[in-house]
This record gives sequence, structure tokens and C-alpha cells, in this order.
Amino acid sequence: CTKLDVKVESEYTSDNFPTTADGFIAASGPMYTQLSSKYAVDYWRLQELSTDEAIIPARDGNYEDGGQYRFLHKHTWTKDHPTVKSVWQWAFSGVTTCNRILTLFQKAPESKSKQTSLAEVRTMRALYYFFLMDLFGKVPIITSFDNTSLPEQSSREAVFTFIEKELKESLPLLNTKTGQVTYSKPVKWFAFALLEKMYLNAVVYTGRPMYTEAVAMADSVLAGGAYTLDDNFINIFTPDNGPQVKETIFAIPYDTYQIKGNQFSRFGLHPALVDKYSLLFRPSIAMSTIASFYEKFNLTGDIRNNTWLEGKQFNSDGSPIMISTTNKGLDNNYAGSDPGAKISWQLSFSKELKLRVDSSMDLGNDELAKASGVRGIKFCPDKNTEAQDRNSNNDVPVMRLADVMLMKAEAILRGAAPTAVKGELQTADVLVNKIRARAHAPLISGITLDGMLDERAREMAWEAWRRNDLIRFNKFESAWGFKTDGNAFHRVYPIPASELTLNPKLVQNTGY
Amino acid sequence: AQQKSAIVQELHVGAGPLTSALGLLRQQSGANIMYDANSLKHLTVKAQDFRGQSVEDVLRQLLKGTGFSFSATEGVFIIKKEKATVPVTGTVTDEETGARLPGVSVLVKGNTQGSITNGEGAFTLQADLHGDTLLFSSLGYKPGRLVLNGQQLVTIRLKSDASMLNSVVVVGYGQTTKGDLTGAVSHVSSENFNTGVFSSPEQLLQGKVPGLNVTRSGDPNATPAVILRGPSTFREGEAQQPFYVIDGVPGANIQLVSPADILSMDVLKDAASTAIYGARAANGVIMITTRRAKQGQSWISYSAYAASERISNKIDMLSANELRQYLKDNNKSLTPAYEDNANTDWQKEVTRNGMSQSHNLSFGGGNEKTLFDGSINYLQNNGIIKTSSLERLNVRANLEQRAFNDVLKINLSISNSLSTQNRAPEQVYLNMLNYIPTVNIFNPDGTYKEDLSRSRGYLNPVSLIDNNSDRTKEKIMLGNARAEVKLLPGLRYTMSLSLQDQQINRDIYNNRASSLSPNTNGQAIRSAFTNSRKVLESYFNYDKTFGKHDLRLLAGYSWQEDRTGDGFQTSQQGFVSDVTAGNNLNLGGAKDGYLPNYGTTRIQTLRFISFYSRVNYLYEDKYLLQVSVRRDGSSAFGINNRWGTFPAVSGAWKISKEKFMDNVRWIEELKLRAGYGVTGNSLGFDPLIAKFRNDIFGKFYSDGRIISSIGPVQNDNPNLKWERTGMANIGIDLTVWKGRLSVTADYYDKRTTDLIYSYEVPSPPYFVPNMLANVGAMSNKGIELQVNVVPVKTANFTWNTSANIAHNKNRVVSLSNDMFSVKYIETADLGGKGQSGNKSQLIQAGYALGAFYLWQYEGKDKDGNSTFRSANGGITKEPSSTDRYYSGDAQPAIIYGWSNSFTFRQFDASIFIRGVSGNKILNATLANLNNPAEATGYDMPRITLGEAVTDAKAPYISTRYLENGAYLRLDNVTIGYTIPVPGKYVRKLRVYATGNNLALITKYKGIDPEINMGGLTPGIDNNNFYPKTRSFLFGLNATF
Repeated sequence: CTKLDVKVESEYTSDNFPTTADGFIAASGPMYTQLSSKYAVDYWRLQELSTDEAIIPARDGNYEDGGQYRFLHKHTWTKDHPTVKSVWQWAFSGVTTCNRILTLFQKAPESKSKQTSLAEVRTMRALYYFFLMDLFGKVPIITSFDNTSLPEQSSREAVFTFIEKELKESLPLLNTKTGQVTYSKPVKWFAFALLEKMYLNAVVYTGRPMYTEAVAMADSVLAGGAYTLDDNFINIFTPDNGPQVKETIFAIPYDTYQIKGNQFSRFGLHPALVDKYSLLFRPSIAMSTIASFYEKFNLTGDIRNNTWLEGKQFNSDGSPIMISTTNKGLDNNYAGSDPGAKISWQLSFSKELKLRVDSSMDLGNDELAKASGVRGIKFCPDKNTEAQDRNSNNDVPVMRLADVMLMKAEAILRGAAPTAVKGELQTADVLVNKIRARAHAPLISGITLDGMLDERAREMAWEAWRRNDLIRFNKFESAWGFKTDGNAFHRVYPIPASELTLNPKLVQNTGY
Repeated sequence: AQQKSAIVQELHVGAGPLTSALGLLRQQSGANIMYDANSLKHLTVKAQDFRGQSVEDVLRQLLKGTGFSFSATEGVFIIKKEKATVPVTGTVTDEETGARLPGVSVLVKGNTQGSITNGEGAFTLQADLHGDTLLFSSLGYKPGRLVLNGQQLVTIRLKSDASMLNSVVVVGYGQTTKGDLTGAVSHVSSENFNTGVFSSPEQLLQGKVPGLNVTRSGDPNATPAVILRGPSTFREGEAQQPFYVIDGVPGANIQLVSPADILSMDVLKDAASTAIYGARAANGVIMITTRRAKQGQSWISYSAYAASERISNKIDMLSANELRQYLKDNNKSLTPAYEDNANTDWQKEVTRNGMSQSHNLSFGGGNEKTLFDGSINYLQNNGIIKTSSLERLNVRANLEQRAFNDVLKINLSISNSLSTQNRAPEQVYLNMLNYIPTVNIFNPDGTYKEDLSRSRGYLNPVSLIDNNSDRTKEKIMLGNARAEVKLLPGLRYTMSLSLQDQQINRDIYNNRASSLSPNTNGQAIRSAFTNSRKVLESYFNYDKTFGKHDLRLLAGYSWQEDRTGDGFQTSQQGFVSDVTAGNNLNLGGAKDGYLPNYGTTRIQTLRFISFYSRVNYLYEDKYLLQVSVRRDGSSAFGINNRWGTFPAVSGAWKISKEKFMDNVRWIEELKLRAGYGVTGNSLGFDPLIAKFRNDIFGKFYSDGRIISSIGPVQNDNPNLKWERTGMANIGIDLTVWKGRLSVTADYYDKRTTDLIYSYEVPSPPYFVPNMLANVGAMSNKGIELQVNVVPVKTANFTWNTSANIAHNKNRVVSLSNDMFSVKYIETADLGGKGQSGNKSQLIQAGYALGAFYLWQYEGKDKDGNSTFRSANGGITKEPSSTDRYYSGDAQPAIIYGWSNSFTFRQFDASIFIRGVSGNKILNATLANLNNPAEATGYDMPRITLGEAVTDAKAPYISTRYLENGAYLRLDNVTIGYTIPVPGKYVRKLRVYATGNNLALITKYKGIDPEINMGGLTPGIDNNNFYPKTRSFLFGLNATF
């Protein structure tokens, strides 16, 4: 007997999967699980730690981690940066996943839902390409799964055009229904919103302004009437957010046990806050925001001011949060008498970050150092966060109505004509004031472009758009925190060194 | 045809002459019965009836009391007069020394009855004084032969055979003698095994075989790493280990064999010897032979030992007061939460003296038709870390039956192993060293002192021991049935069927107070899996001697199927009490949304099919030639490359048998050997390694539910194939001075190509960004020398000494081909603090596996801060990945072992020393502990007292921590005494005491320089904390 073929008993192979309707649904899953796997940590870090919105300083060697957070903050990243590599691979894996699912679905029996499914896959692929175009500029366009030859790079303009074409072709086939059935899936309104984002940034991506087109896309969403601003800003980000939030156009659902990847509560709090938020785990003290950014939250009555923790801290019952330590434990530089004397100190988050070691951007690790940096609680701390992996339940929005409105306002400020939607003439002020009114912030008249950037900072903080905004406003080269670099070539990330080795056809971005 | 009516259906014999009865039987049965009618004519038989009995039985009945017996030869029954046997007694002595030899087997020629000499070298047996010849055989002696010629009291002197030329060496699908070997094979018999508390057989060989590098830890549940003639793969685990064949069953689980049952082990080292095992033989083959009954033997033996293990060396950590003083001296203070005014020695709290015991009872015997033996072995090994232990019960039984006048031999054997392993949590090893000593074990309220806000697994070690359990129960059964048929003169057919079945149950329980699963109210993970292996071996042997030519042929087929991972795993959390631990998962209640941990084990089936053939040719007993070829097919490989062919050729020239050597009488043996062969490595594979696979890809939201997403997790590679090793070997065997000195030397050149490694592939167009491919090449060249000397040999005192030394040079030859290419592969991310992503070794063409690639330590600056050399040769305090330099490698230049054994009257003693030299060890353990900047939160090693507290780079893994790894260990000293027991019931009674790891000479500063040399990152001491032990053992051997 020379028969070597053995029975495969506990695997789904290409021969036996997918064959059922449920199988096809499961097979579409990887394009969403891929998205959730790194969006809120790795992708988020490239978009936020490189800006004034977020920083992870080292604390007595902790969170030094080879300098990766410092490099992002100081714009000194190289083609070897681990997160740059991981995000490139993540997004291209997403593209390849979509291509594979397209091939798979094209073989499925004909039906109406098949066309919708194919359009959804193409829209998801367009989203991954949007990330790639935004982060890396010129990238290869791959549309088939079977071609194993090494792909050529396309210009940023060509990638832009490709995404635009894909979205426009998918639009008529996508679902228009919102709510539970299509939550977290790309619906028609999302395709409009993504096109709006592209057109608003068209100068950055292609050199051509497309503000009128941006307004047109916004109007498609607004006229569709599928979304309304949520009365309570905070509700958009709570652990139990979901399809009931009528403002969210596209979100990534997270779950503490099942869809892991939301680690805002893990990285950005302080151990002494455990009781206040009924946490089952000890949070890290890693991440905070930068004083200059926090200072933009200066409007009286603005509910968005409550998304930060600054100054003396209190428990829910109003009692102060006290930390037992010693003089020396509070301040390692303490030079007074009796450094070992026990003291009790009320936790107080300071805006300023004071470096102990400049070269490693290290704050030290005494109680004062631990409390330096304003903590973000926009993604409200989740008491159900599981204690070992520390993943939270808050879904993370990618696109929501407020952004669509702010983008339209900005496009108008940048030269597009105001348009009427459902009989209302929407000028920049009208749109911004809708956002301000919801936030209980004072209304404005005569908003400027700079005012627009600050309004976006207040509204969209920690939603992974700051880098995109700063580049569009030509502010990415400014100084903040400990960053002084002003090289414009940092507007795109380098192509990871390992990818250049793997595909010699790739040409590195200028400057790297 | 001769057996056509072996059974007599019905026969009525009337009273009368025997010859008439025989005639009737001949007529009824058709049996060919021959006799001298003249000599039987006066004999008569009484009336008898036979029904359904064999011819033999009928004959036996008819001849009863007649003084005649019969023999059957090729179907012919010959009746002749029974010999008159009388008791013959004698003694056997050593020719040289006159010492009486116990345990010599004595046989009557042409007969199966025999005896064994007692402790005084004496024997008694029944023989015909006038016709019989006695045959004597004993291990280490040339066979003796004595024609009785009427003597009833005999003495014989046996010539020693220290060269062991005639000792039996087990090779693939057969056996040969040491003198007839053409390849490099090391034979180690039980008297040369290491003594100690061993749970697996490879430990018996440590240091005994040149070229075999065995490294082991003090953990009773860890398996030693075994590397033969240097590493030849980039893969780890089974892929680096030799292939084991136990009593002819390939791939049998070595746990089934108790060390006490092993008679000998043969290590097949060169490709010419191993190629008969083809694709599984690239790392060498170890043939294990267990004790089996022989004709005429009968024994019961019992051996036992009890042992006590202590920690032989530990890392010197600061006491609480020393740490306080260090902080005070450096103007730092403990966080109040870490000051209980305690002085806790955490190492002491979690360790103990390890007590072990072993009992082995074996027995056997048999006659010319039936042989049987069995054994029971019990081992209990309590590790020195509290709760870590191994308990094992092995039971074996063999039955052999010969039939049809020895034409057919059937053998049935069953082995069973039941073991229970308890493991302490991994995290204990680090925390027992660096958990802060200034706190108590418990809080005043009785809970464990703990600070779960700390990262990096900082957990109370006593709590880890007390609140977690991890038990594995394993049952292995191996059944083997073997039939051997003599088809024609010289032609044998053997068929062997084996079934091995393994059941592994693992129960992990982290209780309600466990820091490993905080806030879960207890977590249980339970699993049960079975693995099975079926092996069919079927082969023909043909042996023929014609004139000066001696020819032996082998041709065979083998079929193997392994099915693993049939079972399940699940988990539960949320128990209201710990009393039932994880025994009743139904009593738990995890939070909503909790997903049980079902693990990743899947059913996997691997089929392996082979054809093999071998020719051995011997001319004039001088020139030997062996040619073998094996063709192997494995279902694991890519569809385009499933089959591989593995040829080998080798020859030997027995120079000492040449005429011109006749005058050189002091040379007993001089033989030259040379061979070349090709083998493969297909061990250690996931059977679905080359296939496109889908798996759960995480979960996603779909219409109000969270459901599983399914997608590909593995690229297919239809071209994936074997790793291929070609090895040339040249050797010389020399025995002189009547065997008092023998030398074996070998040189080999081993080159492995098509090495399998997981290469990064571009994420477009491949789906999964890595792929296994055959790319690299690696070379090992070395020399091995083994010397055995008997310096003193007298009746009362003998001294045997044997030394081996091996040198191997390992080099990575290439890592790239036209499809896949990398300049080097960085390995050994040791997780040093503040150094994430800093790799300490690299695999690069031109360097050995385990090449260190480190920051160069340049001492301290004036403030006491560490400095390093930068890439451009300057000094830097902030080294980056580009500042690393090649700094030496982990491969030892020399491995050696030296054993001495002495016997003086009833006493015996042995001393064994072994060591390695020319290697480097990276003491990352010490680097990671030596972090003065963290002295407020961790205990520090003594070395930290000399560090500036500001030196955050002190723990940077650099050449500062790269140390000379040479060592010399006094591994074993044994003293034994054989108690002379009068009386005939006890054949031998010996008591002994053994000390293991009694002394160590090394410059290495870590716990022990015996660092795991297996795997892809050899020679790194990184959190390798299971302490090394020193053990004392008292034992007893008795044979009845």
C-alpha cells in the first residue's frame, strides 16, 4: 500500500468550507476581525501618538519599550519601527482578506444578497486602502487573490482614484438600512462619508482641491436622514454603546471576552482609580494627553471637558482618593528631613510632564510622576473589563455624523458653497453650532479655519483623526510636548524595512 | 507437504510390538517416521486410543519408558536411543586472572537445556558424559567450548574479550557484532549506564557516547535535550532529537522503558548506519534493547533505590536587611507598602529536599518452546520545588512461542506506563528570586501579600505554589505482535504489528485566591486527549555463506499511521468554593460572555510509508561492504514532494585479518571504516504543515450576535519537503594487548540542506505573512575518540577506564535561495527590561547556530553608568539595535567524559567525570535581575551592591553577561558491595551508594553551566531557574 492521503478530520480546508449560508457569513468575518484586531491599539497609536493628542512617556524604564512611543512622539521613527511594520501588515492583510473573500463569494450561487455582499467586501477593501494611502502614500494596488507575482507600487493619486472608483461602484448595491442588522457593516452612508473624508483631504492626497465634492457627499448622508446627533455626547463611547447610538455610521464593536482590542482602560488610567470605576484589574499609568492639547477644552459648560481627568481626584461618593506613601515615595527628589516618613497624598493629575531623563523621555516613577499627565476617559472606563487581558467592551466609532458635519463645515470654509439640506441652509457656523449645542458649549459665529481645527480637537479627540487633521491644516510640523521635528517628509510613514526586503519592487518614501 | 497431517484424527493401537504401532501411526498420519527396526524389535506397547492429537504427542506416548526418544528435523521424525545423562558440575574462571566468573551461561550443544554459573562460578547440569559438548558464553568473554569426554567434574577458563568484537550490536532491522560494523555505532551496555534518579533513558547515556550532547535540568518533569553530532535543523523539539527504536519498534515512546529494564543502547551515529531509517534518521538513531528471557534462563530480580536531592547551587540574592542598607546607602527608600519589617527568604519558602524512590521487579524464564518475562517498575520523584513531582508505574510482559520445530516464532509484548506529573507554576522560578524580601508571606488578615498592580508577573511565590495546581496524568500502552517464519534455509520473514495508545489528561486549577486568574473566583482548565500510533513492519532476511563469501540481504516495507489530538479541552470560572477544585465544572459559574478555553489541539493524522533494502557482503572475513536504500513517503509534505530516497554505502577493511599482520601479534583488531549516506528529517512536524487551512479568526458582530469568523491561517506549500542530511564518516577501530586497550576514532562531515524555516513572505500577495520553505543549509564536521583501557586486572582487583572526547564544528552555510532570502535571522528576544525587540543571537551564514550578537560592554563611566561601544567604534550610553557585534557562539568545541570502574574482591566502585569546553553562555538571568534602578521594588542579586543606583542600563544584555561556559563535573561516584549470600536461592545481592553532581569546576557565575543546548537559541541562561540538584542515592540489586 502506498497511499499517503489521509483523512482531514478536524479542519476546514478549501475542499469543505464554505458550503452553507452560515459558512459564507462566517467566511466574511475575517475582514471585520482583521479590522478590530489592531484598529484601537496599533493603528490608533500611529494616528495619535504622533500628534499632540496622546503620549506614552517612559516611567523609570517602564514603557520605554525600545523607544517606540518616544519615536512616534518625536517624529524620529524609522523604517524599523515595530508599529509601522505591524500596521502595514495589518492593512495589507485586510486587503488580501477582502480579495480572498471576493474570490470566494464570486463562486457562490447567484442571489440578491450576493451582490450586496460583494459590494460590502469592496467597500471594506477601500477602507483598508484608505488607511494605507493615508499612512504610507504610494502603495501597491492588489485586486486579486490568486496572483502571486510581486506587485508594483501605485502613486498616491492612483490609489485615491482606485478607492473613489470602488466606493462609487459599490454605493448603489450597499444596504441603506441602519440599526442592528447592518451595525458594524459598511452601509451606503458610510461609503458617502468615506468619500467625503477623501475629498476633504484631496489636496493632501492628490494636490487637487475637491471641497464641493466633499459637501456633496456630506449632503448625501445628511439628506438620507438615517442618523441623528445623540443627545448625550458621552453615550456614544460608553461600554454599552452599539446600534442604539443613532449617530454612529461605522463602528468597530469590541467585547471584553470575544472581540478583543480595546485597551483604553488598560493603558490610560491610574491604579488608584480602581474603586472609582469598579475595575477588576489594575490599570497601567502609561498614556495621557499633552498640556497644550488639554488646554483646548476651555469652553464653559462644554460636556466634552468631562472626558479628561485633571487635578485632584475624588471617588464617586465625593471622598478624596488618597495614596499612602512616604516623602521620598511621593517625590524621589525630596531633600527635606525624614524622607521615609509616611504621608497620605491625594491623587492629583498634573497637566505638565516633567522629564527626569531627557534621552529616554522618562518621567520617573514616584507618585508625582505617576500622576503626571491628564488622563482620557472619553472611552468610559469599563467595569466589566476582564482582568487578565484587560480588553474593554466600548465599541470604537470610525465614522459618525458629527464628523460628517464638521467636515462639511470645513469644506465650506475652504471654499465650497453652503448647501441646503431639507430646507435648511447649512453654513459652517450652522453646522458647528449643531455640534456645540449638543455639547452644551457656547454657540459661535464666524468660525475660522483655526477655530475649526480646535473644534475638531474637542469633538474628535482620541478618535484617531488628529494626524489626518494636523496634516490637512499644515500643523503636523509644529512643536508640541517634547517634539521639535519639523520635517515634512514625516507626513507619510516609511515603508517597513522588512517589506522592502520581501518585495524589491517597492520604492521607499522620500526622506527615509 | 511435510506438515500435511500433523494431527492424528483417530488411532487405535493394540497391545503388541512397538514397530507395529509406529507403522500404524505412519500409515494414519502420513508422517515420515524413521527408526532402526532392529533395535526396537523387543519393545512392546499396551493398547491405547488417540484422538485429535499431534504426531509428536502420539510418539511421545508410545515411546514413554522405552529408553528411546525422537527428534524432528524438517518433518522427519527420527527415533533413536535416549542418551544416558548424569549430573555434570564445573566451575568457570577467567583465564588471565583465575577469578571465578558468575553469570556465565552454560549450554549442552544441540540441546536447549542449560544453566548459569552462580556467584562462585559454579554450575550443574544434566549431560551425556560420552557424547556431549558444553558451550559457555558470557558478555566480555570469548565463547568457550568443552568436550566432556567422560569427565563429570570440569573446569574451564574463558578468554576475556575486552574489545567486545563479538558483542551484539543492534542495528536497524537486525543485529550484528561490533567486529562486523561498517558504520559509527556506540554500544553502551547496562553496566556502563549512569546511575541516578532518572526518568528517561537518554540520561543513562549522558557523557558516555562521543558526539552525543545531553543537557538536562533539575526539573523531574523536564525532558533532556539530546543533540547528536551538532544541530542540523532550525526547528526545535522533536526535530532535533534522535529517533528512538525500542526492541525493534520504531518511534515507540521512551517513557515506556524503565532504565532498570534496559540491557543496552546502541547509538547509530553516521548516515551509513542510520539511512535504513531514512527520513527520520538525520539526528541519529538510538536503539534500546530491553532484557528478554533466553532459553534455559530463569530469574527473578529486584532492584530499588531511595534518593535525596538538594539544591546544589542557587543565585545569591540580597537579604532584606542588605537590600534596605543598599537603598539607604543610595538615598532611596522602600514604598511603605513593601515594608513589613520582614526578612523572607523566598527561595527557602518554596523549595524542599526532594525525596525519590524506585522499585523494579523483573522475572523471566522459559524452555525450548516458550519464553516469558515481565517487569514492574515504580518511580516516585519529588522535585525540589514544592509540589513538583513525577510518579510513574511501568508494567511490561513478553511472551514468545516457537512452533513447528522452530520454523515459526511468535512474540507478543505489552508495555504500559501510568504517570502523574505535578507542575509548579512557571512564575515561581523568577519570583522566588526577585520578590521583595522585606514583606511577609501573608497579610495580617491571612490573605497572601500581593501587589497585583505590578506588571511583569510580579507575584507572591508562596501564593503561586499554594493556590495553583497543574496535574497531568498520562497512560501509554504499547502492544507489539511479531512473527518470524523460516521460509527456506537462510530465508526469514518477519512481520511486526504495533499499536501505541496514549491518553493524556491535564487538570489545571487556579483557586479563588490565585493571582494567576485574579477576580475570576477560581479557574479550571481541563483537557483529555488520546494519541495513537500504528506501525506495521514487514521484511525478509536472507543469509547465505558460500565459500569465502558471506551475504546478508534485507528487504522490507513499513507502514505507520499516527493519529493525535483526539479529545477536547474546556474551562470554567466562578466557583463559590475551592473544595471541589476543578473536579466538577458544573459547579462553576463564569460571567456572562465568558468563552471557555477550548484550546487549539486538533485531530491530526500522519501517514508514513517506506520501502527499504540492505545488502551486507563479507569476503574472506576481511572486506565488508554494506549498501542500503530507503524510500520514504510522508503525508505531511507538499503534494509535489512527498517521497524521498535515502541511499547509503559503507565498507570496512579488517586489516588485522590480513596475512601480513600475522606476525603483529599484539594487535588484536585493526579495522578501517568509511561510509557515506543520505538521511532526512521529518520529525517534529504538524501533519498538516503543507496544507491550506482555515481556522477561527476571532469573532465579529453580525446582526446582534457575536459570531465566529473563519479564515485561512496557513499558506499551502505544495513543494515542502524533507530536510536532507548527507554525512560522510571515516573511522578506525584498534584493539591491542589482548583487549586491554582499544581505541575507536571517527571523523565525520555532515551537511544538511533544504532546511525548513518559516520565512516572512510579502503580505500581498500571500495571505499569511509567513511560510515554511526549504531553504537553508548547515554543516557539522567533527572528530570523536573513544579509548577503553584495562590497566589492572588480577583475580582480586580490576580497573577499567574509558574516556571519550568529541569535537564538533557547526556552521550555518546558507539561508537564502532564489525564492526566499534573508541576510540573517535574529533570534533570542530575551525580554530584558527596556530592551523589547532587542535580540541576542542571530543565525547567519558562516556562523554557528547560537551566534551571540550583543552590545559590547565598555565598563562604567565616571558616574557609574554602563557604557557600550557604538557601531562606529565610539562609546555610547544609549545602544541601539545597530550597535551590536558578533561576540562568540554557544556551541562547545569539546565534549568529554571519563569513567573509571574498579572491583576489589566484593567491592566495586566507579567514578564518572564529564564536561564541555569552548562554549559561551549568555547569563541573561543575572542581567535581568541586576537592575539597581528597581531596587525599591525587587530583590537584587549580590552583584548589584557594586552598581550605581542610577545605572538603568546595568541590566542591558551585553557582553558583560557573556561568560565562559566550560565546566568539569564530578557527575557520579558509586560504591557497591556484593554480599556473599550462602545458599542456593540468592544468586546475587549487591548494595550501593551513589552521589550525583558532587563537584563542579567552572568559571560560570550562574546556577549551573549545563544550559539547554537544544532549540534554536542554545547557550542562553534566561530565567532558567529550576535549581540544579545534588543527590545521594542508596540502592540494592538482588537476583534470585
